Amino acid sequence: MITPRWLPWVWLLPAGFLAAFLVYPLVNLTTTIAGGSGAAALGRLMSTGLWQVTALAALQATISTVLALVVGLPIANVVTRYRFRGRAVAQALVTVPFVLPTVVVALAFRTLLGSALPLGFALVVIAHAYVNLAVVVRIVGAQWSQLDPDLENVARTLGATRWRAFADITLPSLRPAVASSAAVVFVFSFTSLGIVLILGDALTRTLESQILRQTAVLLDFPGAAASALVQLLLVTGVLLLGAAAGRRNPARRMRPPARRPVSRDPWARLGVYGTVTIAYAIVLAPVLALVAASLRSSSGWTLAWWSSIGSVDAGTTRLGSPVAALGTSLGFALVTATVAGIVGGLAAVAVLAPGRVRLVSVLAMVPLGVSAATMGLGLLLAFGRPPTDLRGTNLLVPIAHALVAVPLVVAVVMPALRSADGRLALLASTLGARPTRAFLTAYGPVLRVVVVASAALAGAVSLGEFGAASFLTRAGAPTVPVQIVRLLGRPGEQSVGVAAALSVILVALTLALVLLVDRMGQSRARVPA
Amino acid sequence: MTPRLETIGLSLGYEGEVFARGIDLTLDPAEIVAVLGPSGSGKSTLLNTIAGVVPAMDGRVLVDGRDVTRTPIHRRGVGLIFQQPLLFPHLNVRDNVAYGLRRQGLGRDAARRQADELLSWVDLAGYGDRRFHELSGGQAQRVALARALAPRPSVLLLDEPFSALDLDLRQRLAADVADTLRQHGVAALHVTHDPGEAAAVADRVVALEDLFR
Repeated sequence: MITPRWLPWVWLLPAGFLAAFLVYPLVNLTTTIAGGSGAAALGRLMSTGLWQVTALAALQATISTVLALVVGLPIANVVTRYRFRGRAVAQALVTVPFVLPTVVVALAFRTLLGSALPLGFALVVIAHAYVNLAVVVRIVGAQWSQLDPDLENVARTLGATRWRAFADITLPSLRPAVASSAAVVFVFSFTSLGIVLILGDALTRTLESQILRQTAVLLDFPGAAASALVQLLLVTGVLLLGAAAGRRNPARRMRPPARRPVSRDPWARLGVYGTVTIAYAIVLAPVLALVAASLRSSSGWTLAWWSSIGSVDAGTTRLGSPVAALGTSLGFALVTATVAGIVGGLAAVAVLAPGRVRLVSVLAMVPLGVSAATMGLGLLLAFGRPPTDLRGTNLLVPIAHALVAVPLVVAVVMPALRSADGRLALLASTLGARPTRAFLTAYGPVLRVVVVASAALAGAVSLGEFGAASFLTRAGAPTVPVQIVRLLGRPGEQSVGVAAALSVILVALTLALVLLVDRMGQSRARVPA
Repeated sequence: MTPRLETIGLSLGYEGEVFARGIDLTLDPAEIVAVLGPSGSGKSTLLNTIAGVVPAMDGRVLVDGRDVTRTPIHRRGVGLIFQQPLLFPHLNVRDNVAYGLRRQGLGRDAARRQADELLSWVDLAGYGDRRFHELSGGQAQRVALARALAPRPSVLLLDEPFSALDLDLRQRLAADVADTLRQHGVAALHVTHDPGEAAAVADRVVALEDLFR
C-alpha cells in the first residue's frame, strides 16, 4: 500500500470536530442533569412525567412501525421482485417521502386529512408510516430480491399452499431485514419532532418535543437534559438490538436480483399493478394536497399566497419574510455541505490509513444515534453562553446540520473508496509518481464525484432539518422549516397558504438536490471499474 | 396400467411466448426417463410446466390419470429437484426433510422420525442436526433428494441435479440416486445436457427435440 505522509494524520480534523461539537456538548449535558446534587439528578430521571411521555412515545412508535411494515412489505415485494414497465420509477418514487422535510410532510397530511381526522395520535402515526415507507421497502426489498423464487416453489411441490410457503420459507429469511428496518422506523418515530409538533395533540408527544418544551417554554434545562439522556439510552438500545437481529442473516450470497415477469393470471396481475397504483396514490396524494393548499383560499383558487411570499407583510414583523428565511436556509445548506463534505470526506479517507486511525470513521457514525433535539440542546448549553457563545456567529445551525450529515457522507464515501482499486496507486508509483500523486491517481476520481454528491445530500438534509434548528435559530433569522412551524402557529388561512407555498419550494429544492446526487451516482457507476 | 405421468399436446412458453408445441410424454410406474437437450433448449420450462410453477400454454398434464393442468402446485403430487439443492436455510437437515411430511398433516415428532429414516436411505444418518452450510455439495443434493421423496410424490422431476458438482462426484451420485429411485419404485423425469449421465440414470433416454412437434 502506498501511504502518503499526510494520510496517518487525516483523522485529526474530523476527530477534533466531533470532540468539540458532539462529545463535549454531550458530556456537558450529562453534568447539567446533575445540576446540584446527585439526589436531584435521580429525581429528574425518575419523574413520572418523563416516563409517561416515554411510554406514550414508545406506543406511538410501535404502532407507526407496524403500519409502515404492513404498507411497505407488499410494495417491497412488488417493486423489487417483479419485472414490469415503470418498475424503476415506482421504486424511486417510494423513496420520495423519506427525503421530504418532516415539517413539510406534517403540513401535507394536515391539509390532506386534517378535515377528516382530528389532530393527534392517528395523524402522527400515519405521517410516520408515510415517511418511513422507504426504509422498509429499501431494506427488506434488498433482501427479498436476493431470495431464490425457486425456494418457495420447492415448498409448494412439498405440499405447501402459497401463503404457507410464504410464512414458512420467505418470512423467516426476511426476518433479519424486517427487524433492522423495524428498529430504524421505531427510532425515527420515537424521536420525531416536526410531525409531532404540527400533527400531535397534548397527549401525543415524544421525548424530543418534551425536550423542546422544557427548554423553550419551561426553561427547565436539567429536566430537558434528563429527557435527552433517557432518549439517548433507549435509542441506542433499540439500534443495537436491530443491528444484532440484522446480522443473523442465513442466506447472504449477493447476486443480481432475479426479477420475474408478472404472470398472466388475472389475479396475479391485479395484485402487482394494484399494489403499484396504491403506492403511487399513497406517495403522491399528500404532495398534491400541499400544492393545492398553496393555491387555494376559502373563496377559491388564488395566487395570493405565492405573491405575498416576498413581502414582509406575509409574516408579522416578528417572523420576518418567507423569502428571507429561504436565503437563510440556502446559506446554511451551503455551509453545511462544505463542512460535512470536508469532515465526512476526511473521516472516510481515514479508513485507508494504516492502524487504528480508521476508528474515526466509526466515531463519525455516532451522530446517527443522537437525536436532533439532543444535539440542539447540547450545542445550545455548550456554546450558547459565555465564555463560548457562538450564537451571534450564525454558525451553530450549520454545525448541528453538519453533525447530522457527516454519517451520511461517510456512509456514501467509504464504500466507494473501498471499491476503488488500490493497486492503481502501486502502479502509478512504479511509473514514478510520488506517494500523494499515486494516491490521487487511485482514489482521486472516485473521491471527487462521491464527496461532491454526498455534500449535496448534506445540503438537502440541512434544508429540511427542523429539530436542531428549532433550538439554535435566532429569532430574527429562522430557517424555512422553523418559519413554516411558526406560521402554522398563527391563526388565519394566510399563514397556512404561505406555509404551503414555502413547503412546495422546499420540496422542489430537496428533490432537485437528491435527483442531482442520484445522477452523479449513476455517472460514477458508468466509469469502468 | 395407468401411467404415472402423461402430457398430452403440451405447449411450453415463457412470458406469453410459446416455443414448443405438442409434447406427448408418458412415464410408466417406476420408470426413469431422461430427457436430453442442450442448455437453454427449454428443459427447465418443461419440468416447471409439469410441476405447475409455469402455466401450460396449451395441452394437458395427467398425474396418475388425474388431470392436474389447473391444479395448484401443492396438490399435484409432483416432486422437484433443482440444479441447486435449495435447502431451506433457516431449518436444519432433519426439518428440511420433514417439511413435506408436516404439510401432509403428520405430527412434528412422527415427521422427524420419518425424516431420520429417509436420511439413512441417502446415507446421511446422523446428519439431521446439521445446517445447510455444514454440508458438502453432494450431501446437500442428497438431502434435497430425501426431502423430495418424503411426501411420496407420484413423479419426481430432476432438473440437472448434478451439474453443479465435480465430475467424479457427479457420476457416483447419479448412480446412487438411480438406485434410491429404483428401490422406492418412484417414477422420475430427469433432464440433463450430459448423455453419459442420462444413460447412467435412465431406463429410457429421449431427445428433447424429438418431443417437440
